[in-house]
Amino acid sequence: MSETLLSIKGLKKSFGKLEVLKGLTTDIRKGEVVVMIGPSGGGKSTFLRCMNLLEQPTEGSIVFDGIDIVSADEAVKNRVRSEMGMVFQHFNLFPHLTVLDNIRLAPRLVRGHSHYATARQALELLDRVGLADKAKAYPQQLSGGQKQRVAIVRSLAMEPKVMLFDEPTSALDPEMVGEVLDVMKDLAKNGMTMVAVTHEMRFARDVASRVLFLEGGRIAAEGTPAEIFDRKHDGRLGEFLGKVHVGMGFRDKVKSELLDILEDREVSEEELARLKELLGGASRQSDGFSNPTKRRTTQ
Amino acid sequence: MWQGLIDDFTQCFVANGRWGYLLRGLGVTMEVALSAIAVGLLVGFLVAVIRSSHDRYGYFRILNFVAKVYLTVIRGTPMVVQLLITYYIILKSIDSKVLIAILAFGINSGAYQAEIIRAGIESIDPGQMEAGRALGLSYWRTMIRIILPQAIRNVLPALGNEFIVLLKDTSIVGYIALIDLAKGGDIIRSQTYSVYLPYLTVAAVYLVLVMTLTWLLGKLERYLRNTGADVVGNGS
Repeated sequence: MSETLLSIKGLKKSFGKLEVLKGLTTDIRKGEVVVMIGPSGGGKSTFLRCMNLLEQPTEGSIVFDGIDIVSADEAVKNRVRSEMGMVFQHFNLFPHLTVLDNIRLAPRLVRGHSHYATARQALELLDRVGLADKAKAYPQQLSGGQKQRVAIVRSLAMEPKVMLFDEPTSALDPEMVGEVLDVMKDLAKNGMTMVAVTHEMRFARDVASRVLFLEGGRIAAEGTPAEIFDRKHDGRLGEFLGKVHVGMGFRDKVKSELLDILEDREVSEEELARLKELLGGASRQSDGFSNPTKRRTTQ
Repeated sequence: MWQGLIDDFTQCFVANGRWGYLLRGLGVTMEVALSAIAVGLLVGFLVAVIRSSHDRYGYFRILNFVAKVYLTVIRGTPMVVQLLITYYIILKSIDSKVLIAILAFGINSGAYQAEIIRAGIESIDPGQMEAGRALGLSYWRTMIRIILPQAIRNVLPALGNEFIVLLKDTSIVGYIALIDLAKGGDIIRSQTYSVYLPYLTVAAVYLVLVMTLTWLLGKLERYLRNTGADVVGNGS
């Protein structure tokens, strides 16, 4: 396996008396896409925010580029943050700056790159996410999906070694989730090291190289997407996966449930076939991720 | 009746070049007011950043205490008393009355501006600071480039109000024998025993000054709102 980028050991974080992280240990390797899932309050976001020290860990170490950044001084922390991109749930674009200036502010101030070079780079990146025509717009003129794509580009402009995503699609209208996930998939394909907190299980299954299940401030389960999603689990992980209907969109889930109900009734074969047609040919075949206990052997 | 008015006018403003009291007074008023606004802004920003950094992130514990004492004392005592104490006690070795007035009014106004700017800073979503820090900007850089430009835009009306109050408050500088617009009018009254014209003229000039200031602030506010422009200016 490729070299380790972030090595986290015994990480703890308390807010007052409340211990949110109870000792987390994991390595993030170069090129890996690590997706963190789990119930809310499980510590996913706090863990992510500790990685770039937006939250100062109470205990433990994070080794990045050979140095322990937890105990580093402020100047080192600023440099480390400039090498880690972060994308927030609520975008946090700077509303008083144009899209272009949002993107090039940090490269200019932190890296000292020229006016011209940063503008060119920003436009190239915007073009990559299909927003080149929005360079002169202000954030309030953009849709949620566009804002989040700009936010991703803003992070990319610093040429980060790792990108952290904190529920990047949770604040989006459903029809805009896809465009943001597409950008993330594209990044992953191009070898970007990524750590993402998300509730998009399909994304986790398709894109992750490793899935962490965080529960109660601990890594309660860890594995490849296949190990996490394709097997039956007991305990909290099984419960959690049962609730989030992995592998099925909401529509598919409704169709499937509806057909289940209809099959229990006295409905003729023709009527059932017609209903299936009306519902748009929902597959009765579980794709392996839905809850298998729901299957019935009617044939 | 008209003849009486013209005589009165001649007596008050033309004879012995008395118009000079008003003109020189206007100069002093504007010099003191504008400089004090600048001093107040400087003090206000500093105190506001210290106070809000302390309240949100726990920084600057000692400076925050000093700032709180400053706010309490300045806001708890009358402006005239502060002016007299500055003139007779604190800065008695300084000769320039204008400079003393600028400092006294600037430090006084700074306390009020500080609280206004602090309200502005605290109205900004903490996510803005996080986004700046996550990009590798230092706390101060994020404060100056990201937070303050937005904060000022939000509190510009309240800040403008404070400027107007300050401009009119300078009319008490006569207490330290500095001849500003108000004192100039008062001198004309004492020399001519005429009350209507000197005082009404002084009032009218203040009114014009305030209206001009209001107009300028309104323009600035519209400019910031329409363009979403960056008041600190990042050179773009």
